[in-house]
Amino acid sequence: MRYALKRLVQSVLTVFVVVSASFGLVRLLPGGPLDYLRAQAIQQGGSDLSVTEINRRIAAQTNIAVEEPLYVQYLEYMGAIFRGDFGRSIWYEAPVTEIIGPAIPWTVFLTGSALFLAFTVGVSLGAFMAYREGSRFDVASTGIGLVLNSTPGYVVGLLFVAFLGYRLELFPTGGRYASALTPGFSLPFLTSVLHHGALPILSMAVVGFGGWALSMRGNAVRVLGEDYLRSARLRGLSTRRIAMRYVARNAILPMYTGLMIAIGTVFGGAVIIENIFAYPGIGFYLIQAINARDYPLMMGGFILITVAMVIGITIADLTYGWLDPRAKGGDARESY
Amino acid sequence: MTNQTTQRRPQQLEDSDVQQARNDTPNAIVAVRNGSVTYDLENRDAMVLDDVSIDLKRGEILGVVGESGSGKSMLANAMMDAVEEPGITTGSVRYYPESDGNPVNVLELSRGELQSVRWEEISMVFQGALSSFNPTMDIRGHFEETLTAHDYDVEAGMKRARQLLSDLHLDPDRILESYAHELSGGMSQRALIALSLILEPTVLLMDEPTAALDLLMQRSILSLLDDIKEKYELSILFITHDLPLVAGLADRLAILYAFEIAEVGPSEEIIGNSHHPYTRALLKAVPTLETPPASMEPIEGTAPNPAHTPAGCHYAPRCPLATDACRTETPPWDDVNPGHRTACFHPEKVPEAIRFDGGENGS
Amino acid sequence: MGGLTPARKEVTHVSPTEIPDEADDASTEAVESEPSVNNEARSAITGHAHTGRTPADGSAVSAFEQVAHVSMTEGERRRQWFEERVLAPARIVWNDWRARTGFIIVVSYLLMGTVGTVLVTAPQPNQGELLIGAFRTLEFPLGTTASGTSILSQLVYATPSMLIMIGSGAVFTVALGTAVGTLAGYKGGRLDSVLMTITDIMMTIPGLPLTIVLATVLQIKGNPAVIGILITINAWAGLGRAIRSQALTLRDAEYVEASRIMGMKTPTILWGDIIPNLMPYITMSFVQQARAVIFGSVGLYFLGVLPYSSINWGVMMNAAVNRAGATSSPAALHWLLLPMLTIIVLALGLTLLAQGADRIFNPRVRARHAKTIGDGEDDEPDDPTTTTTTGGF
Repeated sequence: MRYALKRLVQSVLTVFVVVSASFGLVRLLPGGPLDYLRAQAIQQGGSDLSVTEINRRIAAQTNIAVEEPLYVQYLEYMGAIFRGDFGRSIWYEAPVTEIIGPAIPWTVFLTGSALFLAFTVGVSLGAFMAYREGSRFDVASTGIGLVLNSTPGYVVGLLFVAFLGYRLELFPTGGRYASALTPGFSLPFLTSVLHHGALPILSMAVVGFGGWALSMRGNAVRVLGEDYLRSARLRGLSTRRIAMRYVARNAILPMYTGLMIAIGTVFGGAVIIENIFAYPGIGFYLIQAINARDYPLMMGGFILITVAMVIGITIADLTYGWLDPRAKGGDARESY
Repeated sequence: MTNQTTQRRPQQLEDSDVQQARNDTPNAIVAVRNGSVTYDLENRDAMVLDDVSIDLKRGEILGVVGESGSGKSMLANAMMDAVEEPGITTGSVRYYPESDGNPVNVLELSRGELQSVRWEEISMVFQGALSSFNPTMDIRGHFEETLTAHDYDVEAGMKRARQLLSDLHLDPDRILESYAHELSGGMSQRALIALSLILEPTVLLMDEPTAALDLLMQRSILSLLDDIKEKYELSILFITHDLPLVAGLADRLAILYAFEIAEVGPSEEIIGNSHHPYTRALLKAVPTLETPPASMEPIEGTAPNPAHTPAGCHYAPRCPLATDACRTETPPWDDVNPGHRTACFHPEKVPEAIRFDGGENGS
Repeated sequence: MGGLTPARKEVTHVSPTEIPDEADDASTEAVESEPSVNNEARSAITGHAHTGRTPADGSAVSAFEQVAHVSMTEGERRRQWFEERVLAPARIVWNDWRARTGFIIVVSYLLMGTVGTVLVTAPQPNQGELLIGAFRTLEFPLGTTASGTSILSQLVYATPSMLIMIGSGAVFTVALGTAVGTLAGYKGGRLDSVLMTITDIMMTIPGLPLTIVLATVLQIKGNPAVIGILITINAWAGLGRAIRSQALTLRDAEYVEASRIMGMKTPTILWGDIIPNLMPYITMSFVQQARAVIFGSVGLYFLGVLPYSSINWGVMMNAAVNRAGATSSPAALHWLLLPMLTIIVLALGLTLLAQGADRIFNPRVRARHAKTIGDGEDDEPDDPTTTTTTGGF
C-alpha cells in the first residue's frame, strides 16, 4: 500500500512539475510566446489598442495576467489548469479544452491498441522462439525482428498510406471515422472506427513487436536455463504451469521497465503517425498548433499528452508492484 | 562379492537377471551398475560419468566426495534419470521400494512412471537453494504446486510441510509466507530440504547442499540431517567436495576422481586406512589445527577434462606411483577390507608412499 | 586503474574444454598462471585460495608462501593492452557475421559523411530533368526530385549533419545517464532518492512532444549538435534508471568495498570500479540512443517542426510527400522510399553492431580470441556444449 501511495504522489508531482515548466516556458522566456502574442494582438488590433486590452486578451488566451505580481500569475495559471481551463486557442478561436478534450480518447485508443497488440504478439512470438531456440523458425524470426526493430513507425505508416491507402484503396487515408456516420454504439460506426484506426495502429504495432519478441526471446532463454526451472520439472509440475507461472512470469517481468519507456515512445510516435494519417488526436492538434504558432493550444496539447502518459505509466508501475514481490522490497540501503 | 578378490571392471551384469542383481546388492535401496553419462560433442564424445557402479544402502548416509567437475553431480542426476539434454545416461539404476521386493529400473521408466518415482520415492536437494525457488512465488506456492502435481491431498500435505519446517527449526508461518529472496541462505536451504521431503520420499539425493553456506550453518544443517534421517527413515546420498565436512556424517564414503570411483568404503576406513593415492593426497591437503601450513600439499597437475580422459587409470598422470600399467590399463578393484575397495594397481604400496600426519590411525 | 575488476580477472579464466591436455605431459613447470577451474576444487578442500603450486622437486616452498616472480616491461604491457583492448575485439567483430555487417554499414555511413561529400557534387535545383526515377540514368543513379536535384547527392550531403546530431545526442544521453545512474546506485541514501525522483519525473514526460515544444519555444537555430541533444532531452532518464539498478549489484562487491575501505574518493571508485564493469551495457545503450536520434530527428524533420540549416533525410521525405504527393503519385515514390531505406539500413547497422558489442564484452569469447601467441588453432569453432557439460557439476 505504501508503494502504491508513493507512486501516486510521484505521478501528481510529475504533472505539477510539467505544468509549472509550461508556465515558465510561456511566461519567463524573453522573446518567447508571451511577446509573440502581444505583437500579434497589436498587429491585429492596430495601434489604438490599449495596454489593458492587450493584457486582457493575453490573459484570456493563456491564463496569465501579466499585470499581477509573478507569484499571483503562477498561482492563477496553475489554478486554472487544475480546474481544466487551458486557455483559448488562437487559431480555432475556441477554448483549448473544447478542441483537445474530444481528441484524447482517440489518441488513447490508437496508442493503447498499438501497445497491446505489439506486446502480446511480440511476447508470444518471443516465447515460441525461445522454445525453438536455434531452429530455422527462430533464425528467420530473429532476422525479421531485427529489421522491424530498425524501422521507424512513420516509415511503415507512410508505406501503408501509399500502398494500402492510395494504391490499393483498401483503407481510408484520413479521419477517425466516415464523416457521414453519427457516433454511437452502432455496428457501422464501430466498423468505420476500426477501419480508420487499423493502419495507424498497425504502423505503430508492427515496428514494436519485433523488439518485444527479441527481448522476450532473450529473457525466456535465460529463464529456461535457471535452476528453479529444472527443479520445477523434477518436481513433476505440468508443462502448462511451468510455462505460465515459471517461464512467462519471470521472463516478462524484467520487460516492465521497457514497457514504461515504450509508453513514452508510442505517445511520441503517435504525434507523427496521427499527422501522416490526418487522424485528429492530440498529436495532430499539437503539430497544427505549432505550425500556426498557437501557443495556448500547443501547451494544452503537451500537458494533456503528458497526463495521459503519466496515467499509463502509473498503471503499469502499480501492476508491476502487484506482480513482482521483489518490487516492494525496501529501498533502505546504506549510503556511502 | 566381498570374498572375491580383484574383480575386473566393468562388471558384467545381465539386465534380465533380477535375482542375481538382488544377490549382488544386499540391502541396497538404489543400485547403480555401469552408470555412464556422455555428451556427444562435435568430433568426440565427452564422458562425464564413466562406468560407475555403486550402491546406496537402506538407511545409510553415503558421502560422495570429488572435486568440481569430477562427475559427482552427474551420479546423483543419473540416479533419478535427470541428466539434462543432450547428455545420455547408460547402464542401469535399480530402485528397491521394498527390501525384498522387485526393483524398479529407473532408466527405463515411461514419463508417467518417472513422475511417480521422482520426488515421491527419490527426491533431490540442489546446490544453491536461493536459485532453486521461483523468485516470483512464495514458498507456500512451491509446496502446494508440488502436492497438486502429484495428486496428493493438499491440506494433509501442508500439515506435513509445517511439521517438516519446524523439524528443521524454522517458523512455518513465516517461511511459508516468504519469498526466496527474503530468506537467509541457511533458511532457504532448509526450506528446500523440507520441500524435497514433502512427498515422503525414501531416498534423498543431496547435491552440495551446504556449499554456499558458512561453516556454522553447514554444521548445524548436518546435525539436523541426522535427526531428519532417523525420523523420516531416509537413505541419503550426500555429494560434496569437502571431505572433512562429510567424514563425520556419512556411514560410507565414495571418492570420485575424473568421472569414476577411486575408492569406496566405510568412513573410518577411508579416513584412516585409505589405499588409494588420490584419497590420500586429498587427505593430505586438508588443513587441521595441528598441522603447520608448510606440511600441507596441494595435488600436482590438473584434473582431466571430459573429452580427453587419459587411458588407463584416470589419476595416473598426477600419481607419483604411476607405472606403465597404470597409464594403459584400467585398474582392477582391490578389496582392502570387507566393504572397502580401491581401484589401484598397487594398493599395498600406497600407505607407505603417501604419508600424512593428520588422522593416520583413524581421526 | 581498476586492477581489481572482475572483468580483468575473467580474461584469464579458461573454460574446461580449453585446459591443455596434460595427460601426456606430466612435466611440471612452475607456472605463474594456472587454469582456475581446479584451483576452486582444491582450495575448497584446503579452505584457502592459492595460485602457485609446489615445485616438483619437493623443495620446501609451501604454496602459501609462493609469490609470483614475473614482471612485465613497459613495452610488453603496452603490447598486452593493445592485444586485449584492440586486437581481440577487432577479431571478434570480424568473426561474427552480424557484427561484421553492422561494422561495415556504420563505417560506410561514416565515409559517406566525410569522403562522400568530396566525391559527389553538391545538390542543386535543376541539375537534371524533373523526377527522374531511380536506376534509370547513370548521371542520376537514384533519380531526381521534383525540382531536378540529384537524390543521391541529397542523401550524401545530408549525412554529415546527421552524424553530428547522432553523436551529440548519444554522447549527451549516455554521459548524463551514466553519471546519474552510477552515482545514485553507488551512493544510495538520500542522494539516490532525490536523483531517482527527478529521473522518474523526466521519464514520464513524452520525449518527442517535449522536443517539439522546446524547439518551438526556444527558437533554436538549426545547429545539428544542439538538435541532437534536444531530441534526446529526457532519454537519459530511462538509461539512468537502468544503470542505477546495475550499479546497485556492484556497490557491495568485494573489490568496491576494498576501494571504499582504502578511502578512495567516490569519483575514483565510479571510474575505476563501477563504470568499467558497466561498459557493455553503456556501449549497447550508446548504439540504441544513436538509433533513437535518427528515428526522432527524421520524424520531426518530416513533420517540418524542427529548424534546419542543411538538407536532411527527413526534410527530403517531407518535400516528397508535401510537394510531389509521393504517397499518392507513383512518379515521386522513389523520392520518398530512398531516404527511408537510408534510415533503415543505418539503424540496422547500428543494431547489428550493438549485438556484436555484446560479444566483445563477453569475457569468455574475448579470452578465446586474446591468446594469439604460441597458439596455432586460435579459431576454434564455438563449442555449444561447453556450458552444458560444465554446468552440471
